[in-house]
Amino acid sequence: MPDPGFWTLQALNALQLSMLLFLLSIGLTVIFGLMHFVNLAHGSLYAVGAYVAASAAAVGGYWAGFFLAPVAVAGLGILLYSGLIRRMRRSGPMAQVLVTFGLIFALLDLSRLIWGDLALSIELPALLAGRTALLGIEYPTYRLFIIGLGLAIIAALAFVLGRTQIGAMIRAGVDNDAMAACLGINVERLFFIVFCVGCALAGLAGAVAAPLLSVTPDMGLQILIPTLIVIVIGGLGSLKGAVAGSLIYGFVQTFGAVLAPQLASVLIYALLAAVLVIKPVGLFPAKG
Amino acid sequence: MFRHTPLRYGTLALLAALALFKAVTADYFGLEILTEILILAILVIALDMVAGFGGMVSLCHGALMGVGAFAYALLTVKAGLTPPLALAAAIGITGGAAWIIGAICARSHGIYFIMATLAFGQMAYSYVFQTPTFGGDDGLGGIARLDLTAFGIDLNDSRTFALFCLAALAASYCAIVGILRSGLGRSLTGIMHNEQRMRALGLTVWRVKADVFGLSGMIAGLAGALAAQHMMFISPGLLSWKVSGEALVVVILGGLGTLVGPIVGAAAFVLLKHEVSALTSYWHLVVGVILIAVVMSRANGIFGWIETRWTARKATRRTGPADAPLKEARTDA
Amino acid sequence: MLETRNLNKSFGAVPVTRDVSLTLERGERRVILGPNGAGKTTLFNLLVGELRPCGGSVHLAGEDVTTLPVARRARRGLSRSYQKNTLFDGLTVEENLGLAAAVATGHASRLGGDSLARPEVREIVAEVADQVNLTAHLHARVNEVSYGIRRQLEVGVALATRPLVLLMDEPTSGIGPEMSKGFHDMLKDLPRDLTLLIIEHDMDIAFDVADTITVLNYGEVVFDGLPEAARGSKLLKDIYLGAWEDA
Repeated sequence: MPDPGFWTLQALNALQLSMLLFLLSIGLTVIFGLMHFVNLAHGSLYAVGAYVAASAAAVGGYWAGFFLAPVAVAGLGILLYSGLIRRMRRSGPMAQVLVTFGLIFALLDLSRLIWGDLALSIELPALLAGRTALLGIEYPTYRLFIIGLGLAIIAALAFVLGRTQIGAMIRAGVDNDAMAACLGINVERLFFIVFCVGCALAGLAGAVAAPLLSVTPDMGLQILIPTLIVIVIGGLGSLKGAVAGSLIYGFVQTFGAVLAPQLASVLIYALLAAVLVIKPVGLFPAKG
Repeated sequence: MFRHTPLRYGTLALLAALALFKAVTADYFGLEILTEILILAILVIALDMVAGFGGMVSLCHGALMGVGAFAYALLTVKAGLTPPLALAAAIGITGGAAWIIGAICARSHGIYFIMATLAFGQMAYSYVFQTPTFGGDDGLGGIARLDLTAFGIDLNDSRTFALFCLAALAASYCAIVGILRSGLGRSLTGIMHNEQRMRALGLTVWRVKADVFGLSGMIAGLAGALAAQHMMFISPGLLSWKVSGEALVVVILGGLGTLVGPIVGAAAFVLLKHEVSALTSYWHLVVGVILIAVVMSRANGIFGWIETRWTARKATRRTGPADAPLKEARTDA
Repeated sequence: MLETRNLNKSFGAVPVTRDVSLTLERGERRVILGPNGAGKTTLFNLLVGELRPCGGSVHLAGEDVTTLPVARRARRGLSRSYQKNTLFDGLTVEENLGLAAAVATGHASRLGGDSLARPEVREIVAEVADQVNLTAHLHARVNEVSYGIRRQLEVGVALATRPLVLLMDEPTSGIGPEMSKGFHDMLKDLPRDLTLLIIEHDMDIAFDVADTITVLNYGEVVFDGLPEAARGSKLLKDIYLGAWEDA
């Protein structure tokens, strides 16, 4: 039996994975809840974020990438929104899935065209390199930074969604967008803002993940399925669902790999299937 | 409801003639491409049966095909079964797996159905990928083709094998048309149009969905067993969700719910892939842009677009151009 | 034939059906009256199983069907039409009726042969088309025919399952007085052994077709009896604010 430190380490790893997934899934799930739009290319935006961060970091250091990536990906989001997504709003989920599927293909090769096929990496700043003593173990400082960042963003979003006017408007829009429009809420503008913030968070996730993983063209594809699992388990459209889904995925995946390596990857899919059978709309859907 | 129109019969005849011509005249490389098209066509008409006529947009048909391929390979290579028995078993196993997936996912709709089928597909993929018996990452080789020498047919000849796959496609097509015209298929179309009403009429909706999904799985299993025999080697990549996604793309490119369209789509997709990848290594970009353009154009794929134009022209001829109906003609499903 | 005992249903804290007990004899034609929001459609949903009651039970032909799913109740002879057309829009009138008849004759989930081409299915389709005056429109698509014809088909599809009990949710809603009259005759000509439960707003039709009347208000049965008694009832006038007195 390994010592308690081992389990602390695994728990922190799980938490760190959860936070990364949260950054991606929250944007996707709120966009879906508000606009009923399934953006399969969300993972590709994350990959673009990682590439932008890597390029910027090569010039101006880690923090340049950290701040530039969300801005750049939000910019890309604006382009996509006005070029494609606004026109696809009225189409069924099938057409949306397919258009964003096409976007995955296109963005994949575009990143290859711009950044090449070789993996890129990012140097960590001195502040975040190294390890920190915590709960009796030495844990990489950068992973603690991701956990802290994730928790801070959860808190910020909970505040914005729960306590501010725009948050109330978003919740009203998720609940019933036609009714929200009747109440004088500019739903189109709301969609636009939420879409941009969702994209920015995807870009941020890419920038944050870049130093941990190597930056490759298909990193967007690799993260897409876990993100979709998170939002479907959690229930589409809700912050609570995204948090719960991320934590479930992070812990099941991490502890599954330790306790039952043979079953680890099947386990999470089996869990998803079980959730869909018992609660076909996820654990905490935005709409009852 | 599925109907054959003169246009559909004509397209089928043209496709059959082209395939036969190619099968007789093509060189080795051409035959490889033809076989690839034929096997993909079997998979996508199986997918069109559930997606286009039942609204069950499945993202696990690639994985089902993979299950068929692995079942055939394991049963022949590891269990020593004779190829005909293994083929039948592969079809049965895939059909059973599909029936279970269909039964479990029957309550889910829209994006949740897509996600649920994706989950099952990935489950199969991860399992096969991680299990050493299945060859893991390396895959399985040395797969034998069906032995039909008793009938004077040698399937190890690539020309004969292409013809064999053409026959399999024709048989699958007839089977699907038969299913769609049966009571089961009629009820499936009813479910797609109005599931609540079918239930209120007394139909056990989940059973119909599961049954048709199972039948579709059997045909996907046949495609898988043929793919295994074609390449004589299989890897877990066959079960990846990208294959399922591509199958869906082919159905859409061709024309959802037209059954003939997806065959056209399969041919277009494979040819495009080979043509474009010969020119540039960025063929995903080309396919992505084409896919976006097709979906944004709101035409129902290549064949759907042709059908719309055809009906509009016929209507113009009948009524005169002055009062030609401007509204989009229905692509009848 | 159809009976409910102390049926209760609440949405959250709001009770929408309170202790509803009804008994319909075989062949009885009962009309349910009540203002908007009285819980009439909710009662239908409870009867056919689209909603589960919080308490009480539903009995069909003497058997407790409270826990049976929608489809199994339908197969035991309970059929309904909807207030809002719930049809197979892309299909023809004939196919709409055929799908229902195929379920009733057990051909709906078979692989062998076309269910719509079966003689017994075709027979039902022809008969029902005649009953609801749709014979001339059999080959038209549902989304091409008029609203009134769709209302007729709504009832026709429910009839094509060969039910013992037919629940009709405002069959004449949204159609003009002219068509309403035709509808009225059609309802009267339905076979006498078919048990009918009808939600109806048009008082003339209601009192003419009904053997018995039930009035719901705030989810409660406030009147249960013969049309003659209902016509003079002060209670009913109060509920409807005399709305039909002018008519």
